[in-house]
Amino acid sequence: MAHYELRKVTFAYPEQASLALSDVSLSIKPGEFIVICGPSGSGKSTLLRMLKREVSPGGRMSGAILLDQVPLQEWPARELAAHVGLVMQNPDNQLVVDTVEHELAFGMENFGIPRDAMRRRMAEMAGFFGLEPLLDRKTDELSGGQKQTVNLAAVLMLQPKVLLLDEPLAQLDPLAARELLGMIKRLNEEWGITVIMSEHRIDELLPLADRVVRMGHGRVLFEGDSRAFALEAWNRSDEDWASALPSITRWALELAPPKMTPAADEPPLTVKEARKWLERAGMVGKSDARSAAHSVDRGKTSSTTAEGELLAARGLFYAYDKHSPAVLMGLEWQIRRGDWAVLFGGNGSGKSTLLQLLAGLRIPQRGSVHWEGTPFARMSSKQRCSAIGYLAQNPVLHFAYDSLREDLMQAASRAGADNPEQEARKMAERFGIAHLLSRHPHDMSGGEQQLGALAITLLGKPRLLLLDEPTKGLDPLAKMRLGEHLRHIHDQGTTLLMATHDVEFAAAYATRCSLLFHGEIVADGEPEAFFQGNLFYATPLHRLIALGEAGSR
Amino acid sequence: MKEGFGFRSLHPIVIGTYYAGGITFGMLLFHPLILLAGWAAAVIINVHLDGGREWRKWSLPMLIGIVLIVVVNPILSHRGRTVLYYLGDIPITLESVIYGVTLAMSMLNVLTFFVTYRLTMTEQKFLYLFTRISPKAALIAMMAMGLVPRLRRRMQELMLIQRTRGVTVLEGTIAQRARNGARLIGTLLSWTLEDALQTADSMQARGYGTGTRSSYLDYRFRMRDWGTMGGLLACSALLLLTWGNGHGFMVIYPRLGSFALSLGDGVALAAYIGYLLLPLGWEWRDRRAWLITNYGR
Repeated sequence: MAHYELRKVTFAYPEQASLALSDVSLSIKPGEFIVICGPSGSGKSTLLRMLKREVSPGGRMSGAILLDQVPLQEWPARELAAHVGLVMQNPDNQLVVDTVEHELAFGMENFGIPRDAMRRRMAEMAGFFGLEPLLDRKTDELSGGQKQTVNLAAVLMLQPKVLLLDEPLAQLDPLAARELLGMIKRLNEEWGITVIMSEHRIDELLPLADRVVRMGHGRVLFEGDSRAFALEAWNRSDEDWASALPSITRWALELAPPKMTPAADEPPLTVKEARKWLERAGMVGKSDARSAAHSVDRGKTSSTTAEGELLAARGLFYAYDKHSPAVLMGLEWQIRRGDWAVLFGGNGSGKSTLLQLLAGLRIPQRGSVHWEGTPFARMSSKQRCSAIGYLAQNPVLHFAYDSLREDLMQAASRAGADNPEQEARKMAERFGIAHLLSRHPHDMSGGEQQLGALAITLLGKPRLLLLDEPTKGLDPLAKMRLGEHLRHIHDQGTTLLMATHDVEFAAAYATRCSLLFHGEIVADGEPEAFFQGNLFYATPLHRLIALGEAGSR
Repeated sequence: MKEGFGFRSLHPIVIGTYYAGGITFGMLLFHPLILLAGWAAAVIINVHLDGGREWRKWSLPMLIGIVLIVVVNPILSHRGRTVLYYLGDIPITLESVIYGVTLAMSMLNVLTFFVTYRLTMTEQKFLYLFTRISPKAALIAMMAMGLVPRLRRRMQELMLIQRTRGVTVLEGTIAQRARNGARLIGTLLSWTLEDALQTADSMQARGYGTGTRSSYLDYRFRMRDWGTMGGLLACSALLLLTWGNGHGFMVIYPRLGSFALSLGDGVALAAYIGYLLLPLGWEWRDRRAWLITNYGR
């Protein structure tokens, strides 16, 4: 059976003084579900890649990695490739060929498996993952979640004993992430596959994990089960650690510090456990929970008040082409000066489309967008672009030059700065990315790209900033920093509009929440009023309250 | 639903042979009447396969092409005895006019015929054929096919976003537009290449290059494939025989011959049309079976 053993593994990338991994010793038993967490750059990905020889980075390594008592280097190539499967972060880039069926078959073809056996495995795996309806589709037409499911299934076609997952959920929206996680859990529980998964958002992983490994600066800082991890993270009283915990766990720990000998289901990791915990502790909990939720929401909200209409959408109607259904149907909406508005909505509900329409990137088929009463049609595109900043979901799209410096300078000189060089440097320093100025934008990490793109957009000095899923793929700490940067921008008088799936982020900062459904805004109001009673578009804390209220009714 | 019905249900090898032969014959035969008949047959096939939708899409470019040939040939070629007219001092001969028309017919015929290729030979079938010749090249073709829509979509996204920062090909002086265009393409390529490294990792991780590959694509060679193949070969043999004996083309240069079809020409025509319409037999047969199951007639 699959049994990994790492003995004092130390690794450094070529031409880099600092160690990417130092002295990592770890033993992984067959059938375990291991979660590796830690901030970006802590060595999670490097560690996972060391476990899969085919994608191991080149560099200096000492120590030994054994799989079933055999050093990894001595395994024959074919068996090793089949034995250990790997799913990476980006759903798009792992797809090799054009149709789903062929993508699933790709691995089996590499192994020269005969046709009949391939068909049989295909039938089985397509059944397990419910991929039958998609088999004939082009991989390009699938949603992110479907793509990642195909990637997972394609790896499992080779019947691996170990599944390595390198932040597989980071690029997915919460719903798709939950679905994929459910499948991974089933694979682990029903098939006994060893799962080793790295992720920096571990709220939903903690209840599933057998063991949590926390990395930092290339070292294993903690190793133990989920509850021990929660306690450890709490006891460290380090924001870096505590921010990794599910909010419900943090809240419970804040409410009542852990006892010396906690019960088996303490501290609570899920809403269900939290309910039980509240009852056992004899707390009615309602008022406490509410005040806690209040403190999470209210404590951080900016003091700026919104007034006066800045941007108005009047009767927007938009369809991508005449044969496809309309995305927006007569949408009416106003953004007021000083708002920090958040737009929620399901997958494919048209959030991104709406933002692009509001930024003037697309032109609606019917209706119009007005900037301070002037319709877009009567503004030049330059005027519009300087008034409204738009940050796309994929930050890579914002870069066009060979270094961050050039990109920032171009943005500054376009905005009419006297000294673009200096402006660019100032902006980079403000976001803490000055050390990356000479770096090629494509060589930066996802979080750095996000900040870089934000800096580029802000150099245009927009009065309204539209952000599309700004927190996607960020680790909790990077997210907090982004939140602070945005708050700073907001305090300086920029109106913000943000489309997101991240309810907790929205709850912490927004002054207004709206819900897009069926091409129209169906709910629009203050965050507190908006979240109350919601079960889906709500933070776990709000859910706890909502359930409590329903129970006492 | 369309796959596995009528013409489309045939094996890729049969379909491949059919098109190779059809195009060869379309070019070998050079008689306006035969070509006209062939064109009519090609239109019938188009109508049967998708109601002529795909063909209509191509009709304008085809029309422009034939008009061009018809006009240009007499201007450039002055062979032939019968001078109709002097354009300045350029003689326009009857023969070169007729030759131009016949050449245009031949073009139109082959193009119309080839439109149906896109309908019957799906990418999967083509790859199946290709994999037998060169598995590596087939894989590359497949990856390229996956890449094209991806590149196109990314370019659209990139253009949309870069417009907000003034990098656009839609406004500015021509020099600026050209510079911006080059920048956009450069960004697209470096972005895509960066991602290609991950694709390579994903291929390696799934054991690419650890030994000989097999192919998942599979089509069974059924009875109807044998039958069709036999029919096609018989028609081809007959056609080649008559063609070898000097039938199936018209004498145009130096002096225009007769339009009338000789007996040999007639046999060539029959063999050609038979060849073209043969696979439609399955279309009719399956359509009939479908009618019987659904309406009992």
